[in-house]
Amino acid sequence: MTTRINIGPVHPSTHGVLRLVAEIDGDTVVNLEPHIGFLHRGVEKLVETRMYMQSPPYMEKLDYIAPMSYDEAYVATVEKAMGVEVKERAMWVRTVLLELQRIASHLLWLGTMANDVGQFFTVFMWCFKDRDLVLRLLQEASGARMFYVNMRIGGLIRDLPPGFEDRAREVLDYLDKQVKTYADFLERNPIFMERMKGVGVMSKEMAVDLGVTGPVLRGSGISYDVRKDNPYYVYEKLNFQTQVRSEGDCFARYRVRMLELRESIRLVRDALAKMPAGDAIGMPVKLILPNAKNRIVSVSRELPRGECMMYMVADPQKPYRLAIRSPTFINLAALRHISRGCRTADIFAILGSLDVVMGDCDR
Amino acid sequence: MVKLKIDRKDIAKMAEELKTKGYSYLVKITAVDYEKTLEVIYIFRDMRGNKEETLEVELDPADAWVPTLIGEFGAADWYEREMSEMFGIEIKGRNAERLLLEKWNGKAAPLRKNFTWNAPYETSD
Repeated sequence: MTTRINIGPVHPSTHGVLRLVAEIDGDTVVNLEPHIGFLHRGVEKLVETRMYMQSPPYMEKLDYIAPMSYDEAYVATVEKAMGVEVKERAMWVRTVLLELQRIASHLLWLGTMANDVGQFFTVFMWCFKDRDLVLRLLQEASGARMFYVNMRIGGLIRDLPPGFEDRAREVLDYLDKQVKTYADFLERNPIFMERMKGVGVMSKEMAVDLGVTGPVLRGSGISYDVRKDNPYYVYEKLNFQTQVRSEGDCFARYRVRMLELRESIRLVRDALAKMPAGDAIGMPVKLILPNAKNRIVSVSRELPRGECMMYMVADPQKPYRLAIRSPTFINLAALRHISRGCRTADIFAILGSLDVVMGDCDR
Repeated sequence: MVKLKIDRKDIAKMAEELKTKGYSYLVKITAVDYEKTLEVIYIFRDMRGNKEETLEVELDPADAWVPTLIGEFGAADWYEREMSEMFGIEIKGRNAERLLLEKWNGKAAPLRKNFTWNAPYETSD
């Protein structure tokens, strides 16, 4: 005899508007079906009706935890369609901002993940406080705290303000210490470890078959990071490692993200040290842009949540079709397969370790 | 990126062939409506060498169906369902399932170019 229970669509642990229907036998999950689409806003259709540079704000609202990453992925696609080269300094500034965005995103994930497995709000508050320092840096650089829209064709809307490097280094030094503290705090906690280790195991073969991306893929022992394997901007010139763990459980995914936090901190430091002087300002803000030259372009980017691919069929002044391969969508599709056989309470540990953002999933 | 135009009959065979060649990662299944034809796009990746291969299948909008790839690639599951709802392309060879993204009746194909905005649609639940 199995029981069906409904979780969501509005539930504090579903990280957005996600409904889960779980079929349980005693305390064991027999089947779990995610119901998505509550945040479906038809962005892919909407951008077809807008000029190229009217769309970045929509892109940012897809993944509202890491808006700049999406913005950048879209603008890079438009740049590729137009055949525009990004300015040298702009590439460095973008790299710095994207990595700062990754730090902010991973910090929020760490807080919510700890919430999901019983570290109620202690780590969350710490992470939120630290994330705010990063957001303040991003605000200095872009003028906005959450939805930045600071990418322009060929560059950015503004260069880094004077003194940014020193302030960023200060924040990074502090974060480096904090991340170690959080790791110590959590990994010495028997409850946390018990809830993470050996839970929601995804094998290597399964990860490839289900097409998961990002830290979830790397947590299952596959070393694939777009920044390393298909490098863009200045990632080739920077010093960092792809973080891989082979266990494939929630703890491995947690570990990959924690190590990525440190790698991102290293990356930003390295990029700030090597950054050349020059001009980073992109094309003026205008609706009518040079006509797109390339008809079909696709761009892959490593977002905090995984690989995003934008496949664009370009008309001269607006996208004819923009297909977004969002990382959360495909990671969430794997939830059903990895949560089979786990305990009911572990659903949220697994969901938390996948790091879903429903806006990104539903588009 | 290698591009191949193929017939829909050969999709399963080609996908299997690519998989044995090492293209074991399905990146995306999507479609583009070119009004006269519908084009379904499959992107596969070989992770070791970071090579990509794209299969393109042209369809007649009035007779739009493709066979499923769910047997070969688990990732095809949601991609196919999403594409099917958004473009009104039938996926043959898999069981009828509830709608994934749409909360309408599933008969509208919003990403087709002839989709009428603001038209009234019945909701499914």
